[in-house]
Amino acid sequence: MNNYERYMGMVKGEQVDYVPRIPILMHYAAKHIGASYADFAGDYNTLVKANIALAEDFGVSQLDIMSDPWRETADYGAEIEYLETTCPQCLKHPLEDSKDLSLLTRPEVGKTTRLTAAIKAIEAYKAYGYKEYSITGWVEGPAAEASDIRGVSNFMIDLIDDEEFACELMDLCVDVAIEFAKAQIAAGADTIGVGDAIASQMSADMYERLVFPREKRLVDGIHEAGGLVRLHICGNTNHILPVAASLGVDIIDCDWMVDVVKVRELFPKNTVIAGNLDPVEGIMESTPEKIHQNFIDLYHKVGNPYFVNAGCEVPMDTPKENLQALCKPIQYNSSI
Amino acid sequence: MMDLKDLTEAIKTGNRTQATSLTQEALDADLTPQSILDAMVVGMDEIGDKFKRNEVFVPEMLIAARAMNESMAILEPSLVKSGYKPLATAVIGTVQGDLHDIGKNLVSMMWKGSALNVIDLGTNVTPDKFVAAIKEHDAKLVGLSALLTTTMPSMKATVEAIKSEELSDVKILIGGAPVTQSFADQIGADGYSPDAASAVDSAHQLLGIR
Ligand code: B12
Repeated sequence: MNNYERYMGMVKGEQVDYVPRIPILMHYAAKHIGASYADFAGDYNTLVKANIALAEDFGVSQLDIMSDPWRETADYGAEIEYLETTCPQCLKHPLEDSKDLSLLTRPEVGKTTRLTAAIKAIEAYKAYGYKEYSITGWVEGPAAEASDIRGVSNFMIDLIDDEEFACELMDLCVDVAIEFAKAQIAAGADTIGVGDAIASQMSADMYERLVFPREKRLVDGIHEAGGLVRLHICGNTNHILPVAASLGVDIIDCDWMVDVVKVRELFPKNTVIAGNLDPVEGIMESTPEKIHQNFIDLYHKVGNPYFVNAGCEVPMDTPKENLQALCKPIQYNSSI
Repeated sequence: MMDLKDLTEAIKTGNRTQATSLTQEALDADLTPQSILDAMVVGMDEIGDKFKRNEVFVPEMLIAARAMNESMAILEPSLVKSGYKPLATAVIGTVQGDLHDIGKNLVSMMWKGSALNVIDLGTNVTPDKFVAAIKEHDAKLVGLSALLTTTMPSMKATVEAIKSEELSDVKILIGGAPVTQSFADQIGADGYSPDAASAVDSAHQLLGIR
């Protein structure tokens, strides 16, 4: 059974040999191949090289395009500074001082730089390991992208002050995200991750009224194009997950503060739960033995379908042995 | 006589139009600037407590802070005229390498509302910049924020830089999601607060107020 079959088997609720592992690796990935973060985020060849190295050296089940929060924002017209050792910095958000949507460039595959680079990365993954590994593309969720375009505090205020504008902006973000997701699927991605980190910082009521319907349209759009959907919201999402449960996602990432047993109760039974050891205390600062045992225990607690994953990005300074332990095969158990 | 409870409520609910007009009304009615400020601070304290209990979230905190800031701008000239002086000057910033600023901004706003003069240095602030600002403004309190485990070492470096300058009477308070009391002890900071509401209590405690 190869990584792709294992991954798809778990998603479909079939018996597999062992549990797929899908850690989020960005800073670690760049460091692993000795590349600068500027190249990891700005040059798709470096991104591809790093992800292939992780798949080969650690047995990660997926080839991934996640690199930083600014891929779409850069193409909407933001001013971005690429840094050597860490995530790029947004020097100017495209609508920091204005609510005029016509000032935005519309990100488009084939026309704008960073969306096009994502497609090239996926094509390279396809050439390397189509149907051998899962190929995971990403789009920003509506709240995350709107925050990136306006600046996060501005957008948080818009949600109360000017709901109409906030919704119009999120609607545009969803339109663009669906087009981008479709292009990624056409290029070879089987899964599209949706990152909507900032959604954890609002009340359940606000999330349900303003963000959920837009995330739902995005999820439906990705499904229509034939992709699986993986939702990633960083942080403590316990309060919004009862609402998010009806989005219809295929894979739900849970950060370490999330009660995964509760998630199993809330979400449809066939949703893959991915998570959720604390990336810092549970992975970086832990020991290989503990990491492996904790994932076995977690798998038995959560039950099938399940993917091994830390709560969020695995930090750069994680010892190699600890990442190896995260990726150490865990036998599939058909009775859980 | 007007009831300052309405001003407290307007701040708490982030209704800036009402908050600013009630501030003006209170001044016109010759209420003391200090009593007006106190009413505003109660509003911020109450919303801060709700935030701590997860009853309100970031958007509600941000609009309350905005109502407070705009009302303060109206009140400030009268406050100054009445002989009011901030209790102390505090410097705050997010440490080098870290660009997260929502939490730091909330702490800064709460401090402003609690009679501190706050100098906000923004994000990605080097140890040198912190030291220079403490000297320039004769700050008695410095707040350091870090949201990334990878930037916690910058926090340590900043504490070391401040200590090595023998700025002995400045107190250092640290915060941010991955930061803990034991980390504060480990790097020699004077205190740690888990959220913006307790950051006010800790600041006052460290400064020997209350
Ligand atoms: C918004 C956000 C962003 C935004 C930041 C926008 C901005 N202007 O701040 C963007 C998209 C830019 C971003 C980027 C990144 N982020 Co980020 N981000 C978040 C998120 C979703 C929310 C953080 C937040 O604002 N919380 C709300 C505020 C109110 O809470 P708070 O900051 O904790 O502050 C409170 C207390 O801590 C305390 N406090 C804070 N500061 C201080 C200071 C003092 C003196 C005191 C007393 C108290 C105090 O009081 C505050 C109020 O109560 C969190 C995940 C989450 N959901 O929590 C991830 C998170 C912090 N990010 C994370 C990461 C990894 C990143 C990136 C590296 C991602 C990447 N590879 O691209 C980059 C790093 C960029 C950089 N160099 O800084 C990780 C950090 C993991 C770790 N522990 O190291 C988190 C935890 C997500 C995760 N689970 O992995 N991020």
